[in-house]
Amino acid sequence: MSSKRRFRAVVAAGGALAAAIVLAACGGGDVGGGDSSDVTVAKGGPASGSVLISNWPGYVDPGADGTVAQFEQQTGIKTDYKEDVNDNNTFFNKLKPELDQGSSGGRSLFVVTDWMAKRMYDLGYLQEINHADLPTVFQNILPQFEKSTTDPERKFSIPWQGGQTGIWVDTAKAPEIHSVADLFNPKYKGQVTMLTEMTDTVPLVLQSEGINVDEATKDDWLAAIDKLRQARDSGQIRKFTGNEYTEDLTSGNIVAAVGWSGDGSLIGNKNAEWRRPTDGCDLFFDQAVIPVGAPNTPAAYAFLNFAYTPANAAKITDYVQYVTPVNGVRPILEKEDPQVASDPKIFPTQQELAPCSEDPLPPGSPEDVADVEAAFQEVTSG
Amino acid sequence: MESATATARPSIAAAPIRAWSWLRQNALKIYTGFALAYMLIPIGVIAVFSFADASQNRDHLSFAINNGFTLKYWEHAFSVPDLNQALMTSFKLATVATIASTAIGTLMAIALVRYRFYGRRASNLLLVLPMATPEIVMGASLLSLFLIYGLALGFTTLLIAHIMFCISFVVVVVRSRLIGFDRSVEDAAADLGATPIETFRYVTFPLLRPGILAAALLAFALSVDDFIVSDFNKGTTETFPIYVFGAHLRGIPVQVNVLATMLFALTVTAICFVLWQQKRADRLAAVRPEQEV
Amino acid sequence: MSDEGRSAATLRRRLIPYGLLGPGAIWLVVFFLVPMYFMGEMSLRSGVPNTPAGFTFSWEFSNYSDALAGRGEQIVRTFFYAGTATIIALLIAYPLAYAIAVKIHPRWRLPLLFAVIAPFFTTYLIRTVAWETILADDSPIVNIMKSLHIIPEDGRLLATSGAVIAGLTYNFLPFMILPIYASLERIDTSLIEAGKDLYASARQAFLRVTLPLTMPGVIAGVLLTFIPASGDYINAEFLGGANNTMIGNKIQSTYLEQSDYPKAAALSFLMMAVVLTIVFIYIRAAGTEAFVGSEEEVR
Repeated sequence: MSSKRRFRAVVAAGGALAAAIVLAACGGGDVGGGDSSDVTVAKGGPASGSVLISNWPGYVDPGADGTVAQFEQQTGIKTDYKEDVNDNNTFFNKLKPELDQGSSGGRSLFVVTDWMAKRMYDLGYLQEINHADLPTVFQNILPQFEKSTTDPERKFSIPWQGGQTGIWVDTAKAPEIHSVADLFNPKYKGQVTMLTEMTDTVPLVLQSEGINVDEATKDDWLAAIDKLRQARDSGQIRKFTGNEYTEDLTSGNIVAAVGWSGDGSLIGNKNAEWRRPTDGCDLFFDQAVIPVGAPNTPAAYAFLNFAYTPANAAKITDYVQYVTPVNGVRPILEKEDPQVASDPKIFPTQQELAPCSEDPLPPGSPEDVADVEAAFQEVTSG
Repeated sequence: MESATATARPSIAAAPIRAWSWLRQNALKIYTGFALAYMLIPIGVIAVFSFADASQNRDHLSFAINNGFTLKYWEHAFSVPDLNQALMTSFKLATVATIASTAIGTLMAIALVRYRFYGRRASNLLLVLPMATPEIVMGASLLSLFLIYGLALGFTTLLIAHIMFCISFVVVVVRSRLIGFDRSVEDAAADLGATPIETFRYVTFPLLRPGILAAALLAFALSVDDFIVSDFNKGTTETFPIYVFGAHLRGIPVQVNVLATMLFALTVTAICFVLWQQKRADRLAAVRPEQEV
Repeated sequence: MSDEGRSAATLRRRLIPYGLLGPGAIWLVVFFLVPMYFMGEMSLRSGVPNTPAGFTFSWEFSNYSDALAGRGEQIVRTFFYAGTATIIALLIAYPLAYAIAVKIHPRWRLPLLFAVIAPFFTTYLIRTVAWETILADDSPIVNIMKSLHIIPEDGRLLATSGAVIAGLTYNFLPFMILPIYASLERIDTSLIEAGKDLYASARQAFLRVTLPLTMPGVIAGVLLTFIPASGDYINAEFLGGANNTMIGNKIQSTYLEQSDYPKAAALSFLMMAVVLTIVFIYIRAAGTEAFVGSEEEVR
């Protein structure tokens, strides 16, 4: 290039840079923040119109005589029920830019796991719930769910369904798998998957090492994550999955997966059986929350009230096969589907659940939590 | 006698030799056959599996669960509302993006081929950069822009992104058509008294049309097909590929295969139409008749 | 025409190309170049993800060193997959393009090209899902290969690096075939004839005449395949296992699952820098006109 051209090119580049800096100065400041200073309470009232709800797959009985359809019929509220929550983090991230603007992408209600609900509340993304607008809910909620560690006064979350994280086993191919430690057996190399949900996978590993999760330190967590990394590098763990382990089980790609107790309705493999690990257990409870910018909060309240009516709750539990927070479901099912009523996965006793961890986050400050999460992400996505 | 045995011997040994030399002569053609088969296998699988009965698996596709042949998913091809919505969104997005990027790109191509101006080389470079950038970098940087300015992610941001990456491809296609253009036809029109605008309207544009159509088709295909850039900038909007990705985690309804096969057939028809148009235009203008493409 | 009239017309004529170019150039600058700047700005911010404070700008160059930390193996793996896929695609595409452009009767050219591009018309995701189905552990194809002892009894095709490379190759094959075909088609056959007249054998004619003349197409094809392949994460996600992740997977999860935007932006920049370096080295070695376009078209 001649020197005159070069000079012009430099001037042009400098001009472009200056323009960009001006643009940036005019542009926004902080990114990725949010605050919980001014939280609104979701409004109640007569419910009508249409409502959009997001939930995990397999969390409601489908079809023309399913709960959603019945709700539509009885209340006249057009309900768009999307099963697009596949992983807490992915769903959160998808919504985050909109939540930052105070919008929820049209959703009036969605269901995430309790630790994620708390995180969203702390960031100011949720509305508070008016107990007076949820009479049926608070009338029928089981006593052990009236409070929770993440939401002691039930200010922002209402339990939807819960369950245990354990091991799904293809009993035709690998009947001897009973514990988390068994999953590390080289015999099953490459045929085992684990969950991308850190709060499900790592506590189980900690317990299989004999560590009490409530007393585990950050280093314990990091050591467990390192064990997972080694298992991944050696090819022992085939993949880290969200809900898709159900597909792998169905198509026979794996013999065992860390998975959720009620996903039976999602697995097409008749030989698959959920087992509670002999060396540990983990509980989770998913919560329904109302986001900021929810277009139809009365309808959201109406839906929750509807779902907490024992008859409806029994229908849901019968299909979904997860633990229900609603009182009065068990007697109904004892008459209608005794097999479900006596299933310890669905109606576990307090003693069975006592030693279980409760989907905990790692200990420490937010920086510590972020560090552990980053380490776990390293393992699950390279 | 020598000649007798000489002619007698080839007929015994000739068969394998002939077979071998036939093989060598047609090796390339046989290879072409295999290569094409390889390219079309997944399409075959998709089409075949659109007929697989998966009612045992909640109507979700799986090799392992297959009850046999059924037409029911073709009959109820549009009975998965989220899928339909995603497909509609993809089409709307692709249509608007195609129109915008084809218009913008055609004008750019004309400027770059027919005019000499300061900044031409820089513009060429600017055009090439998006094609040379990995999609993930383009998607991620657009996301950074939208986040810093606090723009709501959704259809609009998707549209912006799609137009952006289509422009370069449109320019490349239209430019190659413009380069092969015989200007003497335009000169003839001018000689016959046509104004520049009339020349463009009645001579240039009709001859350019197949190129523009091809560019538009390419832009449409790129837009419908795009996943990575869309994944970063979609917010909660779902396009067809994004729906398939999400469905893959929960179980892909057989209707996805049905609609994909329909989409394939539709695009094939559209291409045939474009090619037919092109053949017509070539014949009309008698532009370089010895070239077929 | 008067002097003023002439200069006004000249001015108008000189402005026309800018008018034609304007919308596109502005669009690309605002939505392609400027975002790159913002991604750079984002990469220098600091903060903890998912906290109310968010991310603030603070010349945090440590994001880059953090992004590189422990990433080496994945980077090598990414470019190994992309490179292998590119080479295989080249080996598959060149004979195919040659067959269509040179050997097969011109009447078949269009339909064949068509068949080559046809897979493009089902979306990228669906093609990859189809391969996932075909390569599943229990599929007929895998079972056949097991009985033929091509793969061991307890082996598998899915969730391996081979599957990822195969997926990348397949998905980017049209990008390799088309430029090579275009340059093959443009070759003046009289040059090949001349070579033969000068006693070149068929193989020599190919190596010394055809191949060099098609280099621009080969370069374009290689770049159009290698660059997108190195940024891809879909094939690794669907066809690979936990051990086969590529840089794209990490960037995607850092952006869209961890919400750690600064680190993700730093990683994207690093990745782009590596890709650009490889591309520049390659172009230097092979010549630039094919890529940027030649100058003589203006008339």
